[in-house]
Amino acid sequence: MGSCWSDGKGGGRGGGGMVGVCGTTSGCPNDAVDYYLKSRGFNGLFSQIELSFSASNLRDGDVISKSDAMVVVYTKGRDGITLSELFRSEVVLNSLNPKWIKKLTLSFQFELVQTLLFRVYDIDTQFQNSREEMLKLDEQQFLGEATCALSEIITKSNRTVALELMRKESVAATAQPQNYGKLVVHAEESLASKTTTEIVLRCLHLEPMDHFSKSDPFLVISKMVEHGSPIPVSKTEVLKNDANPVWKPVFLSVQQVGSKDSPLVIECLDFNGNGNHSLIGYKIEKSLAELEKLHVSGQGINLLLPTGVGHKHEDKALKSQISVDKFTETVQHTFLEYLASGFELNFMVAIDFTASNGNPRLPDSLHYIDPTGRLNAYQRAIVEVGEVLQFYDTDKKFPAWGFGARPIDIPVSHCFNLNGSSTYCEVDGIQGIMNAYNGALFNVSFAGPTLFGPVINAASTIASESLAQNSRRYYVLLIITDGVITDLQETRDALVSASDLPLSILIVGVGGADYKEMEVLDGDKGERLESSSGRVASRDVVQFVALKDIQYGEVSVVEALLAELPSQFLAYMKNRNITPTTTTTTSAS
Amino acid sequence: MTSKAMTYSTMKRSLEIELISAEGLKVDRKPVKRKTFCVLKIDQETRACKPDELGGSYPVWKNKIEMDIAMNGSVRFISIEVLYKTSGGAEKSVGLAKIPLTDFMGGFAPQGHLNFLSYRLRDEYGDKSGIVNVSIMVKPDGNSLKYSPPSVPAPAGYKACSSQAAANGHMWRPRTSSSTAVTAGYGGRVVTGLPVWGAFPRSS
Repeated sequence: MGSCWSDGKGGGRGGGGMVGVCGTTSGCPNDAVDYYLKSRGFNGLFSQIELSFSASNLRDGDVISKSDAMVVVYTKGRDGITLSELFRSEVVLNSLNPKWIKKLTLSFQFELVQTLLFRVYDIDTQFQNSREEMLKLDEQQFLGEATCALSEIITKSNRTVALELMRKESVAATAQPQNYGKLVVHAEESLASKTTTEIVLRCLHLEPMDHFSKSDPFLVISKMVEHGSPIPVSKTEVLKNDANPVWKPVFLSVQQVGSKDSPLVIECLDFNGNGNHSLIGYKIEKSLAELEKLHVSGQGINLLLPTGVGHKHEDKALKSQISVDKFTETVQHTFLEYLASGFELNFMVAIDFTASNGNPRLPDSLHYIDPTGRLNAYQRAIVEVGEVLQFYDTDKKFPAWGFGARPIDIPVSHCFNLNGSSTYCEVDGIQGIMNAYNGALFNVSFAGPTLFGPVINAASTIASESLAQNSRRYYVLLIITDGVITDLQETRDALVSASDLPLSILIVGVGGADYKEMEVLDGDKGERLESSSGRVASRDVVQFVALKDIQYGEVSVVEALLAELPSQFLAYMKNRNITPTTTTTTSAS
Repeated sequence: MTSKAMTYSTMKRSLEIELISAEGLKVDRKPVKRKTFCVLKIDQETRACKPDELGGSYPVWKNKIEMDIAMNGSVRFISIEVLYKTSGGAEKSVGLAKIPLTDFMGGFAPQGHLNFLSYRLRDEYGDKSGIVNVSIMVKPDGNSLKYSPPSVPAPAGYKACSSQAAANGHMWRPRTSSSTAVTAGYGGRVVTGLPVWGAFPRSS
């Protein structure tokens, strides 16, 4: 588990928090995405998964003997067409129920829908002495294929799916059962994913950045990647006015950094209210294993500061030192373990119907339904978030609300059921949300102002009711809005009340508004949200991103938003010592 | 006060409170250096925890306390105060926070739920002096005070736009996928229908 930007203990803050405002940077959407990813760190929870395969009742390809089968795995791109090969198993000779030994290792990325395509081939005798990689697949006999998303496999309690093999998708499917056999795929999380290190770092003799006061130092730990600048994976809290800081423990999971020997960069920065933190010094190429050795030896190492420009770039060794006070390794429960024991993520959505969106019948409205089928910003946000989260919800019943409009002949509502019902708020699946959205669009009068309080309270009610029933659910509320909130205090109050519930809130801003005010939801310069009654948020559960005009297929800012969710979920569970219980069910549902 | 005739007034609930830690403690706008301790007060009863050993403005106590609280309405708050001892032995207050009962009873907090709560501390002048982190659990009792969720304001008087819809408890006739849903097949597939603007009563 790596809960980045958090202490993970007691009443400490959970992961997540506000992000740099994309709306105020320069126009190019890629720059904004880039900035966003770099500033937040691509700290998605990578779990290493091992897939193993077996099949039953394969078609008999050969005349004389049974099939000699091999399975090939591809990933399917977002467009549903592009395939890229990932893996080939070995060939199992003469069996219609092969069990392959070779396993496929891949990273599970929570924020993506990872669609896998499995194809089984019968390898002709003449090729059987060649290496599997050399085989030309179109020369082999095709035995069937199947598709599923990686999240479908890992959310099953026994992490196994049995897929019906079919003829190629391009051929029109027939209504009759195909009898090509079944492919069974089983997923295991690798042990390295489960190990987390707890590290306490300290610095000595930090040099002040200006003459008037000592610095406000904090550390950023990044992992080195082949191409491009290091990617931040964790950072400490900011200590004010301290030349010999000792920070609270940093939790890094081995899976976040790759391996125990992956080189890390540790930078010590001086916090600046305007966001331009100055570099005090850095240390490069220390892996977790080396940090462990540093802890054992009890020594410190000198920080470096780049000096000179251009070709004369050098690293000056400073007097300042960094040392490791504590280094412990523990095996943590992973997100996947919780899922396997029955925990669910439940998706809820709230849509802004205020008048500032524009008349939905006009093409310049943010709610315009394009007859060519191109999704508007609201639909895109619903689909991008919903498609990832839907796998984690077993009944796929999503509460959906609208706010800021007048359903016909009724006063303005800041929380009405999107499906038009006066009694229940759920819809079925992503399609249900889209249908309800369409229905609401032309049946309400857009009004205002933009208030989040009521929908946040509605979500909190659902989350707390589920708590009362001890159900293992964690809720994710997506609020899509075009503007700045008007009830800042009421929203703060609602968020503070929600901060102790199993709930995370994602806010996506569409359109070109200046979202600077939304930053306040993250507290002022790192301070926690405070309600009007003096209560302070127990954890940061809000994340905000401005969805600029991002073309389909590019890296999605929304993905980076989702990447934080497993950490927030784990922080909530860990704080309460809720562990995944081992289940004894054996049914492959 | 107890009275045999009114036994219900002695009804108490048992609370498990943990005084966990505090952050950003300040006295006179300067970070606290000394060892601080935390005092919990319910009605007239007080409990103190042991001072944090390391001192400073980010103390960690992790002190669990069990106390009963009267349910007759006389107690509305629990108060938490953070103090330190001066070299002379006097106790000085860093700040005080008052926790309303509703923050951990009723509202969004079911019985038996471990509530992690944090509060702003304010000093005698009303200035902010830090944040205190606690956890409070109301121990569920046998004859349960049933959990009652905060009532979501019922959509009072929603006049439906059609009597048919009203009969089904709808504000407007819901769309089904067989109707002119342009987004049937969201995500790059071909649209097979066109939106029909006049299908539903126009909103004024």
